Amino acid sequence: MSLEILLILVVGGIAGIALLLHLTGQSARRLLTPEAARADWLRHFPDDAVIDVTVARDGHAALLRTETGPGLLWSFGADTVGRHLLDFDLIDHPKGFRIIFHDFTAPQVTLHLTEEERPHWKRLISPHD
Amino acid sequence: MTDALSFPDPTQLAIPFFVAAILIEFTWIALKHRGGRYETRDAVTSLIMGAGSVASGLVLGFIAYGFFMFLWSLTPLDLGTSLPVIVLCFVLDDLRYYWVHRFGHRIRWVWASHVNHHSSQHYNLTTALRQTWTGTFTFKMVVSAPLILLGFHPALVLFCGGLNLIYQFWIHTEAIDRLPRWFEAVMNTPSHHRVHHGRNARYLDCNYAGVFIIWDKMFGTFVPEQASEKVDYGLVHNIGTFNPLRVAFHEWLSIWRDVTQPGLSLRQRLAYAFAPPGYSHDGSRDTSDRIKAKHLVRHPEDRGTPGFKGAADAGAGGSVQQTL
Repeated sequence: MSLEILLILVVGGIAGIALLLHLTGQSARRLLTPEAARADWLRHFPDDAVIDVTVARDGHAALLRTETGPGLLWSFGADTVGRHLLDFDLIDHPKGFRIIFHDFTAPQVTLHLTEEERPHWKRLISPHD
Repeated sequence: MTDALSFPDPTQLAIPFFVAAILIEFTWIALKHRGGRYETRDAVTSLIMGAGSVASGLVLGFIAYGFFMFLWSLTPLDLGTSLPVIVLCFVLDDLRYYWVHRFGHRIRWVWASHVNHHSSQHYNLTTALRQTWTGTFTFKMVVSAPLILLGFHPALVLFCGGLNLIYQFWIHTEAIDRLPRWFEAVMNTPSHHRVHHGRNARYLDCNYAGVFIIWDKMFGTFVPEQASEKVDYGLVHNIGTFNPLRVAFHEWLSIWRDVTQPGLSLRQRLAYAFAPPGYSHDGSRDTSDRIKAKHLVRHPEDRGTPGFKGAADAGAGGSVQQTL
């Protein structure tokens, strides 16, 4: 197979499939409830004991207090990803906060929070600031 | 001895079939509302990883091929390319695949290349194409050396390897439940391979087969899919990025950081590169054996059931020691 045909097949195939999935609603992000956030956290970290859960009003992120410290769970496409809040920077963002993890596999998350939510979340994320 | 032998590259020729099969699977799921799920960015990442893997093969393939041709120049044996030889080569190459794949899960250096194939939380036909860009650096071609030295031409060995990968494409689906019993007994199937992609403690490190599941049954690594436990796809520590560069290289970077941290002995540095994934010198991380052992502490009723036989029982019963 010539390189030109290979390129056309690969680029055309990827673009076509991406368009089809997007137009049929497959780009929707996971919506979290407190129960779903707790279950997903325990799915990621089965050794943890969750004390309480705070879900952002937009439903795309949750803060969890666990016996080993706070953790952040967020929508990752149709699924979720979680990280313990151990080594990170919290930066103000027009839509809420941006968390920069010092983690190559989960570099950053933008939290969409209302004006009312921000002080509460900041206290929970950085209780000693 | 035949030097100038050429076979077509089956994986490149199969690309139109891959695209068509993905469209059929997606349509089937959309119509039936069962049998899997798709997510745009996840699928695009998988497809880009597949394209990158083909590109990587075009750029770096000469290394493996050069190694094979060097071995071919050494061996006095030439089995030719008759149909029985091709069939025998396919079967033996599948045995080769089993061991490469098993090493890929049990040696972190090889896992660094293979991890990206498991990095999706989805399981559909695009997941099959989420292939490595860095396989050449694992030196896995060494496992093929006996085939070349036995007299199978390098072009034939590569051809059989390509057919093996094509077979594995269609088993990355939830749309097919179980196949006839005789087929499930001999062949790798969607059910067996779903288990392989599981991050559940029960399903870690099993079902390494490519085409024939008999290798797992022979070498004690077979775990059947349990109706009572749905497979949870992805990694033990799922990644939070769709960036193909991060997907492709994250474990290599992690190895580098671990190996170069101060205060370790040479043995500990080597273990960070070559021990099973999850090794840590201070016991702060979990290997699959330790994950299984911890699971059995939380769920002792699972002891002795599929996926919890053997090493994990020993780990749960005694100390879960992994420090060196």
